[in-house]
Amino acid sequence: MGLLSEEDRKYLKEEFNNNINREVKLLYFRNDKNGSEYSKQTKELLEELTSLNDNLSLIVESCDNTEKIKSEELTLCPSIKIKSDRSGFLNFYGVPAGHEFISLVEAIKDMGSDNLSLPEDVIKSLKEIKEPLDIKVFITHGCPYCPGAVRNAHQFSLVNDKIKSSMVDANYFGELSRKHGISSVPHIIVNDKKGFVGNLPPDLFLDKIKEALK
Amino acid sequence: MDFSIQKKEKNTVRKHFQAAIIGSGPAGLTAAIYLGRSKVETVVFEKVIPGGYVVNVEKIENYPGFVEGISGEKLGKLYAEHAEKFGSEIKSEEVTKLELNETPFKIETSRSSYTSDSLILATGTSNRKLAVPGEKEFTHKGISFCATCDAPFFEGEDVLVVGAGNSGVQESLYISRFAKHITIVELLEFPTAEPILIDRLNDNNKIDLFTSHLVMSFKGDKMLSSVDIKDIKSGEVKNLKIKGAFIYAGEIPNNDLVRDKLKLDEKGFIVTDEYLRTSVNGVFAAGDVRNTPLRQVATSVGDGAIAGYEAYRFLEERK
Repeated sequence: MGLLSEEDRKYLKEEFNNNINREVKLLYFRNDKNGSEYSKQTKELLEELTSLNDNLSLIVESCDNTEKIKSEELTLCPSIKIKSDRSGFLNFYGVPAGHEFISLVEAIKDMGSDNLSLPEDVIKSLKEIKEPLDIKVFITHGCPYCPGAVRNAHQFSLVNDKIKSSMVDANYFGELSRKHGISSVPHIIVNDKKGFVGNLPPDLFLDKIKEALK
Repeated sequence: MDFSIQKKEKNTVRKHFQAAIIGSGPAGLTAAIYLGRSKVETVVFEKVIPGGYVVNVEKIENYPGFVEGISGEKLGKLYAEHAEKFGSEIKSEEVTKLELNETPFKIETSRSSYTSDSLILATGTSNRKLAVPGEKEFTHKGISFCATCDAPFFEGEDVLVVGAGNSGVQESLYISRFAKHITIVELLEFPTAEPILIDRLNDNNKIDLFTSHLVMSFKGDKMLSSVDIKDIKSGEVKNLKIKGAFIYAGEIPNNDLVRDKLKLDEKGFIVTDEYLRTSVNGVFAAGDVRNTPLRQVATSVGDGAIAGYEAYRFLEERK
């Protein structure tokens, strides 16, 4: 028996079939030294997900492969990067379980399609960003507000290739969370410096990011 | 590890609706179900996430029909799915201004403007702040309002919970899965949570309850590290070393949009009649934001049904 229920498999299969029209690669950097059960379950989940649609494939790498991690512009491990020929840096540091599972599903659908569900004014504003922008959304698996924040950041990345978006499992990366003084989520850290707490509609979310850049 | 699915919102470019609902908690989404089934063009404005405050509740045990309880987040999703099934549109936009002087009512959001022939306010409540020194400074730096979000940060730590009502006790029980020890501080002489929750509290050896105590100040450097609490009977002040604090000290109505437009009671809750009509014709209020003796999911759902039906009747009578 897999990690997904039969009902969810059926639903996801339909969602993927209706949305995915290009090849999507899930690049999973696994860490077997620190939490092997965690790593094993994640791999199983990704195998199950990628088996649901012919356009999906899984590449598993080790966290020891530092060259590859660097070439993918990743800074933490484990991570799951969702790739296709669509522009966008959609990444998950740690496991997108609990409430975050939907973020993973949406990221796969987004990278496999031309889907974009942002308002026109937000898209216009995002396109005007000229400098590299790194958005890290720190989450916990029990946080119901976090998927909305991850979704906002991921969608922003689809609009402008200057923008990198990553979910970060705040508990897995506890030291990094402590470094940023994180004790409430979703906590959004912009360019590894300043940030803010909470999810907002996309326009206000973008305003907060711009504010954090100042 | 757990994996679950949720549906996506579907938005149109429509700018005028027959009914607009502000707030996507149990009251707002129930009203949307009733209006949708009455074939009324309805929009629901949600600020953050369908379900409203209820998404913070790990398990709702007193909502009829769910014998084993249901997570607030799951219930919120079901409400949203149900409302959309009958044609209501849910927009993820924060309403910033209302004009209620004439119909159609004008609604400004952070992104656009809309009009509506009727309006239902279901904006709920927010956690009351304590207004003590250090509270603002350490909010999100140890002080939290969402246990399901933030309790894992306090694994093996000492935590304070303010308030021994249903929320305070229920969330303390949840936090006790992570924290080493929890001190609940309650201003009253007794906890006001349901007896079944008090029983569980008494059975939990990680939790201590201090009644007749109040929080004086939160202290720390960059992050929260202690709290001063005062015994209001003896006047004794104690300093407790804590890493986290969760505040459930009552609610305040989210009435910013209508503070000078609708009749409010002395605590700021919207005054309604039994049909949930407010002081402005065509504007209804439902759920926790109105003056009601009990604020529960079940009562909000009842309010939503009445407000939805009455908004429909209002629209019909105008024809």
